[in-house]
Amino acid sequence: MKKITIKEKNFNKVSRRSFLKIGIGAAAIAGAGVPRKAFAGSGEQLSTLIDLSLCDGCVDRKIPACVEVCKAINKDKIPPVSANIPEPWPRKTIEDWSREKEVFQRLTPYNFIYVQKVDVVTDGQQKTFFIPRRCMHCDNPPCATICPFSANHKDRNGAVVIDQDLCFGGAKCRDVCPWEIPQRQSGVGIYLHVLPSFMGNGVMYKCDLCIDRLKAGKLPGCIEVCPRGAMLIGPRRKIEDIADVRSRAMKGYIYGKKENGGTATLYVSPISFELINQSMKKKPGQPDMPPDVVRRMANTDPLGKAVLAAPVLGFAAAGVAGAFHWISRRRDQKKLREENDD
Amino acid sequence: MIEKVLPEKNLVVRHSAIELIEHWALAISGLVLLLTGIFELPVGKRYYIINIPGLGWSADFITSMYLHYAAAFVFTVVGIFHLFYHGLRGEKGLVPQKGDIGVSITVIKSLFGLGKEPPLPKYLPEQRLAYAGMAFIIAMLIVSGLVKTYKNIYAPDLSLTIVLAATWIHNIFFVLFFLAFLGHMAAIVLRPNRPMVRGIFTGRVRLDYARHRHSLWLDEIEEIHAESTAFPDEPPRAEVTGEITTAISPAVPASPAVLLTPEEQPLVSDKKIKDIVSPSVQEGDKPPQTKQ
Repeated sequence: MKKITIKEKNFNKVSRRSFLKIGIGAAAIAGAGVPRKAFAGSGEQLSTLIDLSLCDGCVDRKIPACVEVCKAINKDKIPPVSANIPEPWPRKTIEDWSREKEVFQRLTPYNFIYVQKVDVVTDGQQKTFFIPRRCMHCDNPPCATICPFSANHKDRNGAVVIDQDLCFGGAKCRDVCPWEIPQRQSGVGIYLHVLPSFMGNGVMYKCDLCIDRLKAGKLPGCIEVCPRGAMLIGPRRKIEDIADVRSRAMKGYIYGKKENGGTATLYVSPISFELINQSMKKKPGQPDMPPDVVRRMANTDPLGKAVLAAPVLGFAAAGVAGAFHWISRRRDQKKLREENDD
Repeated sequence: MIEKVLPEKNLVVRHSAIELIEHWALAISGLVLLLTGIFELPVGKRYYIINIPGLGWSADFITSMYLHYAAAFVFTVVGIFHLFYHGLRGEKGLVPQKGDIGVSITVIKSLFGLGKEPPLPKYLPEQRLAYAGMAFIIAMLIVSGLVKTYKNIYAPDLSLTIVLAATWIHNIFFVLFFLAFLGHMAAIVLRPNRPMVRGIFTGRVRLDYARHRHSLWLDEIEEIHAESTAFPDEPPRAEVTGEITTAISPAVPASPAVLLTPEEQPLVSDKKIKDIVSPSVQEGDKPPQTKQ
C-alpha cells in the first residue's frame, strides 16, 4: 500500500496539472489559477469539483488516496470514547464505531469520505465509475440551519462545519440531509456532562472541507493527494465555469449545482446521474445520488418571509386600529356635543 | 378600554374584545410554538412520540418548521400589535409600578392565609410583575426568532457569534416561556384567583368579586362615574347600552363618561354603583374571601 504524504502545494500548480490532464482549453486553464491567499480565511466562497471521468477509485491501492489522507488528517479528531456509553432512554440506540475505525467503504464518524463503485450499463456496455462521496457543503444546508444548538454552521467560505464541542448527537442533521451524510459516534461529547440518558447521544461527524487547512492556506487533504487530479477547489464562479466547460467537453452532466438548492460540490460525469443513481443501492452510510433532490426547507421560506414581515404588519395593524378608534371617538364626541347643544 | 358595570347581571366588563383576541391569539400561537419548538428537537423518534395517534409528524422537522413559522407569524403580529396599540393609547395598567414587589408579597402571603389582602386595583401587583416578565420573555423570543428565521432563509453563513447568541437566547427563553406558562396556569389554580378566569373567556368578571378584591378599580370606576355626571359633555366614547358605562384606561383615567338611557338615568344617578346589589348573587357565588 502506498503511503500518502501531504505536501503543501501551490493552488496554481494543482489546478493547472488537473487541467492539463484532461486537455481542455487554455481559457479554462487560466481560469483555474487560484492564489493561495484566496483560501486563507478571506471568506470568499469556494466550491469543489469532482470529475468522475478522472477518478479511478485508486484501484491500485488498498485504500483510495483521498480516503486514506482524510483518515490520517482526522485520526485524532474524535476524543476517546467513554468505556461505558450511557444507554439512551427510552429508545436505546447506540452508534459506536470506535472499534471499527478502519472501515473505509462507507461514511462513519471515523471516515468522512469513501469511494463508491458503481457499475452502470449504458448503450449495452457496462462501465464502472468511482464516485468519491462526502458532504456536499450545501449552499443553504438544512443540517446547519435547523441544528437546535447551532453546533453545525456554514462558514463564509462555504464549508459546513460541525463543532463537536457543541453537538449533542441528536442526528437531526442526518435526518434532514438528503444524503444522510453526518454520522454519529455515541459516548463522546457534551451530552455526557448534561443528561446523557435523556438528552443527546454523542456527536455527529462529517467532512468539514479541511477548514483548518483552508484557513492556513492549504488544500483539503483529499484534493491535495488525488493522484488523478480528479478533484479541484477554487472560487465558486471559477469552479462552476470549469464544471460547465468540462461537462460540455465530455457532453456530460453536472450534479450538485441545483440539488438541495445548490451545493458547493459539483460532480461532472460523462453519463447521466439518473443512470448512476439507478445503479446505486442506498444503504446506511452509503447514500444514493437522486438528481434534482429538492431542498425541503425551501417550501417553508414563504412562511418564514411572512414571519420577517410580521413586526411591520403588527405595527401597521396597531396604527390602523388606533386611528380607527381615535376617529370613532372623535365622531362620537362631536355627535354628543351636538346633541347637548340642542 | 371600555369597562362597564352591569349591576343587574352582577358583572363588570374587565377586558375588551381586542384584549381577548390578543390574549387568545398569543396563547394559542404560543402553545403551538412551544409544541413545535419541542418537536424541533430530536425527540419525536427517541421518545416514541411518533407512535401517538395524530403525532406521527413529530419527527418530521420540516413539518414542524411550517407550523412553527405559521404560529410565529401570529405570535409576532399580535405581540407587536399589543405593544404599539396599547402603548399609543397610553394604557399602562399592566406595567409594573413602584411598590409592586412589596404588595405582591403581601398578596401572596394572604393567599395562604397569612395576613389580609390589601385593597387592589384592576390588575394585581404580581400580575403586573408577571406581565413584565412574560413580555420580556416574548420579546426575546421574537427578536432571536427573527434572527434565526433570517438566517434560515437568507444567510446560512451569518456570523457564527450572532447565530450562537440568537440560538441560545431562543433556547433559554423557550424554557423560561414554558416555566412562565406553568406559572400562569398555577396562578389560576389558586382559589382566590379563579373568578378572573371567567374574565379572560368572556371579558367579564363578577361584580361582587371585583368589589371585594379589586375595590380600588371599582372606586376608580365610581369616581369616573361621579365626574362624568358633572361633565356630561365630555364623554370619551359614546356607547349607549342601557347599562352603566364608562371608558377608562387602567392607570390613566380617561375623560369621564357615564352614558345612560333616559329611563335609567334617574335611577342610577341616585345611587352609587356599590349600592346596587344584584338579586342574582347567591351565597355560593361569592369569592372565597368574601365575608358579609
